[in-house]
Amino acid sequence: MQKNKIGAVVFAIKSFALLIVLAAAQQASPQNAATTSINMAPLDEYLTADRDAEIALARTAAPESISRDAEVLVLGRRGFESAVKGKNGFVCLVGRGWTSAADPDFWNPKVRVPMCANAAAARSYVLRMTKETELGLAGRTQAQINEAITAALAKKELPPMEPGAMCYMMGKQGYGGDSAPHWPSHLMFFYSDTDPAIWGANLPGSPVIAVADPTEHLTQFVIPVQKWADGTQALPATPHVHPSSNGAR
Amino acid sequence: MTRNKIHSILLSVFALVALVATQPAVAQDAQQSYPTMAPLDQYLMDRDAEIALARSAAPDAISRDASVVVLTRHGYETAVEGKNGWVCWVGRSWLAMFDHPEFWNPKVRAADCSNPPAARSVLPYVYKRTELLLAGHSKAEVIAAIKAAIDKKELPALESGTISYMMSKSSYLTDSGGHNMPHVMFYQAVKDGAAWGANLANSPIVGVNYWYLSTDAYPQLKFFPPLSVFLIGADKWSDGTSAPSM
Repeated sequence: MQKNKIGAVVFAIKSFALLIVLAAAQQASPQNAATTSINMAPLDEYLTADRDAEIALARTAAPESISRDAEVLVLGRRGFESAVKGKNGFVCLVGRGWTSAADPDFWNPKVRVPMCANAAAARSYVLRMTKETELGLAGRTQAQINEAITAALAKKELPPMEPGAMCYMMGKQGYGGDSAPHWPSHLMFFYSDTDPAIWGANLPGSPVIAVADPTEHLTQFVIPVQKWADGTQALPATPHVHPSSNGAR
Repeated sequence: MTRNKIHSILLSVFALVALVATQPAVAQDAQQSYPTMAPLDQYLMDRDAEIALARSAAPDAISRDASVVVLTRHGYETAVEGKNGWVCWVGRSWLAMFDHPEFWNPKVRAADCSNPPAARSVLPYVYKRTELLLAGHSKAEVIAAIKAAIDKKELPALESGTISYMMSKSSYLTDSGGHNMPHVMFYQAVKDGAAWGANLANSPIVGVNYWYLSTDAYPQLKFFPPLSVFLIGADKWSDGTSAPSM
């Protein structure tokens, strides 16, 4: 297979496809799954008019004991900008479709996925997210964004994942896209160039799911948790991995 | 969560994690219950039963191809050679923090399947500590020997991505509460749980220092490499049956 074709296959299924399967298992909303946002919508549709509402949504990703002292980023016309200075190293933000949804929802302007990244992820994974966001807001296509990220990694303009990089995604609110409206409550862990098998991920009975994207040199592990950030009980999320998204390509 | 509550929740290091928040008085009682090592036979078990218990720490998809080590009178030894790099084993109480009140609890059987990075960079500490203690060395001597081995690089640095599964329905982790719970464990070269937001209200992550509850009893542990253990509860046991909510 040619290099370009390999790349196309890899990028066709972003890491969040795994969670889509999780979410779909919980919500069974296949009637929504067919919606595809092919082109970028008007910029204003990706922005949240109420800055305070975006701050509040971002903070729902982690327990208040963490998010209250976190820095909060909000989306501006050119990218994420700091809205609240933090003091515990965590960074909370609301991801949009180009970073935080499956491919069919890449340009879906309704996507709002809150996350709170720890300091190690803020210095590595979030930098990648913010770069992708700037490119998305500049109107680059999905392929162009992927290409730019790959190039930035090769030139070391973007760092590898730091040891211990992880994030909380335990928010009840937000919108994951038409194909998976609501993510299950979960934690994510970020590694560079790591085989999912190292954690026993994606095997029957394992509580860990993962996907490796060799082009982006990124492996993301997901562990569902039993409660939402506010302490209420979450629905059980049984890992179920689609055969084509196991990172083995 | 208060420091004391965290201490009474956790019986950690390598594998042993207690699960129920109890009052500080419980730790006091436990300390009086296990002041010294029990007769060695109380820590040993039938070899086949130990192999089966060790494997029950992880889903069969992982443990069936794992190596299995079992405890003998002189330390851990390989009973089954694996082929996927994972190592399953049954932890004993002395693998908890050096000042943990259940350090000599002979009832503890903590089934664990360690992934390849943990097998390479965590289990050598398990083996070393066990061999020294079974040879009759005091805790202070063991601490000194481990520190010397670290300094001489005879014991490895922690590898990235170390994790272990502790999802056995048959483990006995502590005298506290229900004695057991399914979880995955992570090792990180940090001194406390702040980096992951552990131990905070509504956080699903519990974290504890690998070496000690406090450095009062063994102040030399302050000079050990920073190492913390984090656990995240699972909602199922390794056999796929549902577990009680944490």
